[in-house]
Amino acid sequence: MKFIKIDKESWAKGLERLDDSFRLFGPVKQDKFHNFKELDKGELPDLSLLNTRLSPKSVVYPQSEVMFEYTLDENKEDHHILKEIDKDYSPRAVIGIRPCDAKAFLVVKPNFDAPEYKDPYWIKSYEATTFVGYACDTPCSTCFCTPAGCGPFHEEGLDLLLVDTNDHYLIKVITEKGENFLSAAGWGAEVDADAASDQIETMRHTAEAKITSRVSTDELKDKNITDLFEASFWEEAAFACINCGTCTYACPTCWCFDIQDETYGYYGIRMRNWDSCMYPLFTLHGSGHNPRDTKIQRVRQRFMHKLKYYVDKYENGIQCVGCGRCIRLCPVNIDIRRVCELMNSYGG
Amino acid sequence: MSAYIDKIKEISNRLLKESKVDMVIGFRKGTVPMMNEPCFAKTPQDVDNFVWDSNCGINLANYLTNREEKIGIIAKGCDSRNIVTHIIENKIKRDRLVIIGVPCKAMIDRHKIETMFETEIQDVIEADDKIIVKGDGFEKTLNKSDVLQENCAICIHRNPVKHDEVVGDPVEEQKDVDRYEDVRKIEAMPPEEKWRYFDDLISACIRCYACRNACPLCYCHTCFVDESRPQWVGKSQDPIDTRTFHFLRAYHCSGRCTDCGACERACPMGIKVRRFTKKLEKDCLDLFGWEAGMTLEERPPLDTYRSDDPDEFIK
Amino acid sequence: MEYMGIEPGRLHFSWISSAESTKFVDVVNKVTAAVKALGPNNNYLKTMAKVA
Ligand code: SF4
Ligand code: SF4
Ligand code: SF4
Ligand code: SF4
Repeated sequence: MKFIKIDKESWAKGLERLDDSFRLFGPVKQDKFHNFKELDKGELPDLSLLNTRLSPKSVVYPQSEVMFEYTLDENKEDHHILKEIDKDYSPRAVIGIRPCDAKAFLVVKPNFDAPEYKDPYWIKSYEATTFVGYACDTPCSTCFCTPAGCGPFHEEGLDLLLVDTNDHYLIKVITEKGENFLSAAGWGAEVDADAASDQIETMRHTAEAKITSRVSTDELKDKNITDLFEASFWEEAAFACINCGTCTYACPTCWCFDIQDETYGYYGIRMRNWDSCMYPLFTLHGSGHNPRDTKIQRVRQRFMHKLKYYVDKYENGIQCVGCGRCIRLCPVNIDIRRVCELMNSYGG
Repeated sequence: MSAYIDKIKEISNRLLKESKVDMVIGFRKGTVPMMNEPCFAKTPQDVDNFVWDSNCGINLANYLTNREEKIGIIAKGCDSRNIVTHIIENKIKRDRLVIIGVPCKAMIDRHKIETMFETEIQDVIEADDKIIVKGDGFEKTLNKSDVLQENCAICIHRNPVKHDEVVGDPVEEQKDVDRYEDVRKIEAMPPEEKWRYFDDLISACIRCYACRNACPLCYCHTCFVDESRPQWVGKSQDPIDTRTFHFLRAYHCSGRCTDCGACERACPMGIKVRRFTKKLEKDCLDLFGWEAGMTLEERPPLDTYRSDDPDEFIK
Repeated sequence: MEYMGIEPGRLHFSWISSAESTKFVDVVNKVTAAVKALGPNNNYLKTMAKVA
């Protein structure tokens, strides 16, 4: 294992150097809260944050993304043919992504990058991205990454792990991609691996001890799907929900989208926009029939998908990394921790 | 507040026991600071969970739409006005309802309080007119009057306009409030500045529709933004489409909006969406002398015609 | 509409009976003149969705 030390002056200089070879994304405080955005030249990621309001999934998977273009002009040879749009898949890096959000990309990967189906937009963006994680030493009271199979210093899905030791940054090199990123930045001050590793371990334990939210997921796998589906608690658990898209749009592990064509004269584009299982339109059939016509059905779908169907289908844990965004942002305080407990303990 | 809670529980238990209602809709304590969760009670155990404090800003009238049961509902001033609007618009029958009025002592602005602190708020406690905010290594006492939801700070109808039961003595209504300072400021801007103002206002909008869905008025089976034949508005993050959503929704609320603030409270991005609806609310007052939800006896101005309706804009 | 930044004079309302042909012509002329005087509408205009 290799560890690099970066003092805070060479931090800015390195980032500047990276500007030539990478598109850099980082957390920036806009108005009242942080979000990820592409950094302007010379702009530094603001690492004074707890976490961003929205997840960084949009760096790879934008909320609205054009996929194809077409022309309806019959005088053109290629009229009515969908053509893939040119995109910038040059190397990019997300700096300051929290470990939970990085792991989330691996949670959604089986959906975008499966043996039988490949989503070229997601895959190309994902592969072009270097993930520079930012270890979390101040988890929020709503964070439950550890019980969700992740953690404040978790490394899955990261290329580099950045740790703030107050007077300098320590970087743990996790992948070759990370290594390349470091050399492009000109950061190379290697430090004694054992000492650095011990220091990070100690910090990791302190951080993990701060995560007080307990959520049990151990029984979910063995529950009977139809029992859970028909469980009596859904009416009560779903009552407050207003079926907005807040939870799904803020969530790093929600992946659903809807495809739309927009035509301007003869020219048109086909794009996809995030969609949400909370919306009635999500499942409305062309016939007018809607298999999830009621709020209770939709709320149940969200939690069953994350905490049961995903668990059973992919054997990859739950479809949630415990970032706590949906808990903090839900306007009516639907709390996934509570629902998860209800599901996990249902029927004894 | 605890007197209110006792009274809420007492009334709810009585109504349930006497089978006057099948359920009572109220709030239970939230799992995060400054949040309570709307819930229903069908048993005395459920009633035990009811709370009341300054974090009950969600408008419970929203939970009545098209329900068939006999319902007891806890209602602040604004909720009661939205219940009236619901009755007028045939979304609920008056005789299915027992309105449990709460003379409202105003709600606190969770967005505002959140942005006052750099780190996480772990607990918020209320003591009379003080709000104590606690986090890791800090504690700060705020005056409740400084951190009210904007709509509450300018509210002039805190007492429920219709109720069958009431949990306390009427509170004093605020007098001489300037309700429209923000709207007038925008009205006075030149067109370009107005345009930019709203661009900035909604730049963070993610079109999650929490504002729409938190609003008791927005009960349409298919909202115009969801309509696909014809498609009135694009569905992407395009700023023109986002703007179209906001101001058209505001039109649909004109003469109906009670300025309850539920939309603004719900927005995960802290967008001041009332800047749209309040203009129409002001116009209804200026042009028709109308305040929504004050009476069951009169039809709202936008579904009636009177020969003296203002028409100077028609050339 | 003016409140959100559409210039005064771009949006017009009129009530014209099918019998009032001269009023119709008159109004159309006035509206087109007023709008031409304002120049093109550059704000409330979507040429293509501004998305990623
Ligand atoms: S759980 Fe909360 S955020 Fe999600 S749809 Fe329901 S109300 Fe909206
Ligand atoms: S479900 Fe909620 S806690 Fe889990 S990853 Fe999504 S937003 Fe985070
Ligand atoms: S709640 Fe906020 S972010 Fe969501 S659609 Fe409304 S204004 Fe936009
Ligand atoms: S538009 Fe907003 S303020 Fe008006 S009634 Fe609806 S939720 Fe309340």
